[in-house]
Amino acid sequence: MSFKNKDLVWTGTGDSRNKAGDTQREEFFNLPMLNEASQEPVSNGGRSSRRDFLKYMGFSVGAAAIAASCETPIRKVIPYVTKPDAIVPGVATYYASSFYRAGQFCPVLVKTREGRPIKIEGNSLSPFAGGGTSARVQASVLDLYDQSRYRKPARKDDEGKWVDVEWSELDEEVIGKLGSSRNIRLVTNSIISPSYQKAIEHFESKYNAQTVVYDAISSSAILLANEKDFGKRMIPGMDFSKADYIVSFGADFLGTWISPVQFAHQYGKGRKIKDTSRPEMNKLVAIENGMSLTASNADEKIQIKPSEQGLAIATLYNLLSAGPRVNVSGSFANEKAQSQLERLAQELKNAGSSLIISDSNNTEEQRLINRINRTLGNYGNTILPGKPLYVKQGVDRDLRQFASDLSGGRVDAVIFLDDANPLYDTPNGREIEEALSSVPTVISCQYSRNESAEASHYLAPVDHYLEAWSDLNPSAGYYAIVQPTIQRIFDTRSAAESLLVWSEHELAKDIQASNLEVRPYHDFIQSVWEQDVFTAQSDFSIFRSFWDNVLHDGFLLNASQTEPFGEFTGGNVDSQAITKPSGGAIELKLFESVGIGDGRYANNPWLQEMPDPITRVVWDNTLHVPIHWNGTDDFEVFNNLKDDGSLVEVRVGDFAKTLPTVKQFGQLSNTVSAALGYGRRVSGRAGQGVGVDFYPILPVDAEGNTQYYVGSAEVSNQVGEDEDFAIVQFHHTMGVTGPDESEDGEIINVDEKAVMNFFSGFQGGLVDRTVIRHSALDNLQENIDKLAEERAHAQYLNDQTLYPSYDYEYKQGHHWGISVDLSSCIGCGACQVACVAENNVPVVGKKEVNKHHEMTWLRIDRYYYGDVENPKVVYQPMMCQHCDNAPCENVCPVAATVHSTEGLNQMAYNRCIGTRYCANNCPYKVRRFNWLDYTTADTFPSNEPTPFGDENFYTDDLVRMVLNPDVTVRSRGVMEKCSMCVQRIQEGKLKAKVEGRALRDGEVKTACQTACPTGSIIFGDMNNKDAEVNELLESPLTYYALEETNTRPSIGYRMKVSNAATTGQNI
Amino acid sequence: MYQPFKYLIAIFALLLTANVDVVAQGGDVELGNSLFRANCAQCHSRDMTSDLTGPALGPALEIWADYPQEDLYRWTRNSHELIAEGHPRAVATWNEWKPTVMTPNPNLTDTDIASILAYIEGVYTGSIGGGADQAAAGTGTTTQSPSGINKYWVIGGLGVALLALSLILWTILSRLSQVQAMQAGETPQERTFKDLFTGRTAIGIYILLFVILGGFVTVNRAVDLNRQQDYQPEQPIKFSHVTHAGLNKIDCQYCHDGARRSKHALVPATNTCMNCHRAVRKGSKYGTGEITKIYASIGYDPSSDTYIEDYESLSTEEIKEIYTKWIADQYVLENDKMDSRGEALVEQEWNHIVESLTNDVKKTVQGPIPWVRIHNLPDHVFFSHEQHVMAGGVACQTCHGPIEEMEVVKQFSTLAMGWCVNCHRQTSVNFNNEYYEIYTHFHEEIQDGSRAQVTVDDIGGTECQKCHY
Repeated sequence: MSFKNKDLVWTGTGDSRNKAGDTQREEFFNLPMLNEASQEPVSNGGRSSRRDFLKYMGFSVGAAAIAASCETPIRKVIPYVTKPDAIVPGVATYYASSFYRAGQFCPVLVKTREGRPIKIEGNSLSPFAGGGTSARVQASVLDLYDQSRYRKPARKDDEGKWVDVEWSELDEEVIGKLGSSRNIRLVTNSIISPSYQKAIEHFESKYNAQTVVYDAISSSAILLANEKDFGKRMIPGMDFSKADYIVSFGADFLGTWISPVQFAHQYGKGRKIKDTSRPEMNKLVAIENGMSLTASNADEKIQIKPSEQGLAIATLYNLLSAGPRVNVSGSFANEKAQSQLERLAQELKNAGSSLIISDSNNTEEQRLINRINRTLGNYGNTILPGKPLYVKQGVDRDLRQFASDLSGGRVDAVIFLDDANPLYDTPNGREIEEALSSVPTVISCQYSRNESAEASHYLAPVDHYLEAWSDLNPSAGYYAIVQPTIQRIFDTRSAAESLLVWSEHELAKDIQASNLEVRPYHDFIQSVWEQDVFTAQSDFSIFRSFWDNVLHDGFLLNASQTEPFGEFTGGNVDSQAITKPSGGAIELKLFESVGIGDGRYANNPWLQEMPDPITRVVWDNTLHVPIHWNGTDDFEVFNNLKDDGSLVEVRVGDFAKTLPTVKQFGQLSNTVSAALGYGRRVSGRAGQGVGVDFYPILPVDAEGNTQYYVGSAEVSNQVGEDEDFAIVQFHHTMGVTGPDESEDGEIINVDEKAVMNFFSGFQGGLVDRTVIRHSALDNLQENIDKLAEERAHAQYLNDQTLYPSYDYEYKQGHHWGISVDLSSCIGCGACQVACVAENNVPVVGKKEVNKHHEMTWLRIDRYYYGDVENPKVVYQPMMCQHCDNAPCENVCPVAATVHSTEGLNQMAYNRCIGTRYCANNCPYKVRRFNWLDYTTADTFPSNEPTPFGDENFYTDDLVRMVLNPDVTVRSRGVMEKCSMCVQRIQEGKLKAKVEGRALRDGEVKTACQTACPTGSIIFGDMNNKDAEVNELLESPLTYYALEETNTRPSIGYRMKVSNAATTGQNI
Repeated sequence: MYQPFKYLIAIFALLLTANVDVVAQGGDVELGNSLFRANCAQCHSRDMTSDLTGPALGPALEIWADYPQEDLYRWTRNSHELIAEGHPRAVATWNEWKPTVMTPNPNLTDTDIASILAYIEGVYTGSIGGGADQAAAGTGTTTQSPSGINKYWVIGGLGVALLALSLILWTILSRLSQVQAMQAGETPQERTFKDLFTGRTAIGIYILLFVILGGFVTVNRAVDLNRQQDYQPEQPIKFSHVTHAGLNKIDCQYCHDGARRSKHALVPATNTCMNCHRAVRKGSKYGTGEITKIYASIGYDPSSDTYIEDYESLSTEEIKEIYTKWIADQYVLENDKMDSRGEALVEQEWNHIVESLTNDVKKTVQGPIPWVRIHNLPDHVFFSHEQHVMAGGVACQTCHGPIEEMEVVKQFSTLAMGWCVNCHRQTSVNFNNEYYEIYTHFHEEIQDGSRAQVTVDDIGGTECQKCHY
């Protein structure tokens, strides 16, 4: 039985205190120091007598008896009527498919159980990203079960409310409206599906419609620069794996820029040290004002203000090129920048191969980048113009034109396709919104609640990519398939199908009549492929076998296929069009968030709860403000702000918004940064109103290109404090160095002198912790020797023990271990979201994270080290270390956490009574306690939190479909933590047993391992001498976190090595 | 006065001899049973009298009795060796059964084989319960083995003796105190048994006993909550495992095809039933009605031998027409004409079909058959049939009991954790599987003879995260 009706049942002491529907739920654990915003401590309100005690006890015994349901319910078992061959209940089926959204393409494998997708894995068959994924790809499966999805076609009635209609009805009306329209605009983001493009072409020719392609984060300038230089609008293909020296002017190619999964995979190949005696590594130099994911990974960073990027590019060009100089007036605010650029130019000249990229959306600046790359001989080597990427095609001035056409009344029908949401994610949003009200017909082919769809008259809901057939062509010669992995959950239809129906294509009738079994659009794709793709390849002679093969692999790679491009025209760059430094004002850099992107992922709670890699803040966007070492004992913070989470007001013209701040190491003074994609006005429950929207203040340059920084912004002093500010890491530094003014500027370890400041990030005394070890490339051997010495000492101490050894058990059978390479880990968070998806880790919401109740089994710690004004960053994926001498195990009073003979630290949820001793005793702080019933596993609603909005998240059956049936859903009051994906281990072992063979290395992979785009996480059996993990763990770079505490972890970390000059402060 | 001690000594002596008897019974039948299940039952029939993949073991034992026992032991460990050597009995068996080869069991110790042989003989001669009953009895917690019964008698006897002893002592003591009182010149107080049983001490003991007993019962009941041993619900179709698995000897995994490849054994889809029931249209026990339920679920018209097109969209009335016609035709075929009894019967059968195939959630006759689930494990338990059937080679009956004798299936085992763990502690692993080569220490110990067998427990089969994750 269930107590779902809250009014009828006494639901705990909180209920008796606040009968009047007060939804505030006070938790027992309210530490005022941690949580000043919390309510009054729970008071007893008088003495309780023994009689009360007996009453309560009697009641709880009775309640427990009822709750346990003395009468066992009758459960049914429902078999298939006709069982599909591909499905065996209880066994996962994988389908090769592809993810594409907002420019990000990723080949994937979709894991389905009983016909429903539950997990996305990378497709390791494909060389595109080598099996890597990103957090967004991992989280995309949750979007399928999004509660705010549009479920049926609808029409707005006179009062502006949606009225559900049938497809046939909608089609008829839409065709009628379109037939009487003369100026139809299709508004879309970049489309890379050949079939979809065919459908659009058909529609365009039928109605004489025009298509407006735009990208919220546009690469407009790159397209235009290449049009000027090569006569072709394109983004050339790039190969970071071949580049020894990478210079990025603000482009966050590891996190968000153009094709980050692919680039991260390529970049990662150059970061792994194979031979420590002859260490080799690529070098990454980032030139920007703050800390993007790429800048944080950079070996060296040159700090410039956003408006100085043109100047910086021109400076580098002038230093490298023998040709005519490009003169840009102005100078760098950072006096070091000029000399750093000079040194950079020198190093570039000596580098074997290089790659220079920029996120500048100024055409002339991008043309300079082209020239720098030409001068360095990168074309044909690291830049492949014959293999362009098609993932971003939008030219911003088209959107400007569209906006002015709309305002001028020159458009009478608009169709928004897929994610196109110009009302939100363009600087013209308000303008378009106003003009749209006078457009007679506005149709949305969209997926879930957003600003543009809600402003439409008709709604033609589209499929999720896991429900639809589609094809993709992300780059020349690479064709991919998107195949459905579940039947359509709702009454939806892909936008391409809708366009075919509305343009009365010959398939229109079939599409309208299509049902679950018959998908005419599948035939349409096949016919397009038969014409275009099949004929261009030579491996297959029969289309059927070609198609089956492509469907199996998920992609077709035609390596020889290139796109023709023109000769380099070599015209002069217009130096007048290059941005001039805007002087002394505070500049505001606006960037795409690694998690929620340009805003379209805002409604995904997994991504909202994934901490920002740099700031470690969840569920909010923040203003990154600079911080300085005062040279004696403390840090000076921008505008004298106090703690992280202090609210300030940002003013740009009429725009004034208040948002919380984070003190950001490495942020150039007089610059602040904030993420785009927040502050959605209309969205599903998770995304709506989270953070502040900065799209309206994005400037537009003379050519119509959107600029992603504001040259002059005002930032107020502290105006308040964000009481729910949720940040998951307070330890920021791990040995930052700076000058000591009292000692004549001698370089000292700042951490040792900084005033201790709890919960605000500056933990004096964190020096020399053995959690993190790092080295520069040129003194690697020195640091390896030092590490070996320290480890030998630690091991000597550890061997002086009275406790018995368990070597007999550990040295036979399996002994699982993981090696994490800190040099190639870029901190992107894919592993974290993969872990959430694999292990049913709940979403807890901002308030709970504020109380330090986040539940992620794997977190990525971020530490700053090196120069305090311009530090480097090390990311460390931290999960249960599966210590063979685990401190958590011997404090559990009920033996709920014990060790297995395979070296796993096991957690038995049903034995746990929630003392939390284990979490207190864990030196790695990786254990997570279910303070509330986050996944609504039991029957008492008062235990269930509401992570966002008013309703529970997991009570919805739709959302619950994403749960992995092989992993227990934990209930309130139990501890949980990383299990090393024991369900995968068991599955792999069983397969080997049944086949009567040894378990092969690499057969079992943990969720974090498969998600990683750079291959930094390797899992394996340490007892298997040939296992890759053994080789890595035995490498001299490997250390164990806090080894001297004798916990004997099974997770080894490989030292972070940066390719920079020696700092003298390493390890 | 020493008399009671004599009794006591006598009882202890009895007890000791009884215990010795229990221990001294040759090969351990219990062990033999579990070893038989783990190693032999895949190929040899459990009733010991009929042939399966391998020959019946009861008669085989008699044949081998003519040869030295050592030969039989060697034969059990590795039959091929003996055949190659040209052992007459071995060759004869080989000629009779080739090309079937008996799986070698090199890990079995002499005691193991003795135990298995004792068990085989016991079943064959009928001295212990035969066949599947016995197979299950080894793991069932309720059935007592003969030695167990002995022990209870002994303990009971001991208890009675102790009680009698204490009463005698009490009597003696009260007499003594009377005598003492008389010697001291006081009036002796007469103490009766009534005083003894209503005294303060006695009441204290009663309360203590009540608390202990009450606690014991409460805990046991609480532990039993949600356990469903012997649960035998009525199913929507009177499917008889006796007919299918018992009489017709259909392999369990023909229908439960998940058992070999999934964690679920799976209730077969209706189309699996149709593989046979397209031909078999009338049941031997329940006639037409029950099988018609299959047809009504999947939409097969037996009258015309076709699958009905667009069956999903038919109304209940239309479906009724199809299947009542079929049932009526069958009635006419049997009784030559349709009469009022027949009409009533047809109507009754149809109502029964509707009742069985529909419920609150599923309103239509079409679609899956809503079976009642008998074996329920809590959500936090991972159990894989594949693991047990394929990797472990456990027979279905070990956990499910003599299914082939169940007209209506019931839950045979407790499915309690203790039951699982017991089995994991007793069952030895088939170490010939190449997978287990990584257990180097165990292999070495088997080699040097210091280890007889490797149980599931030894390779971590009772660790938490083998089943709970």
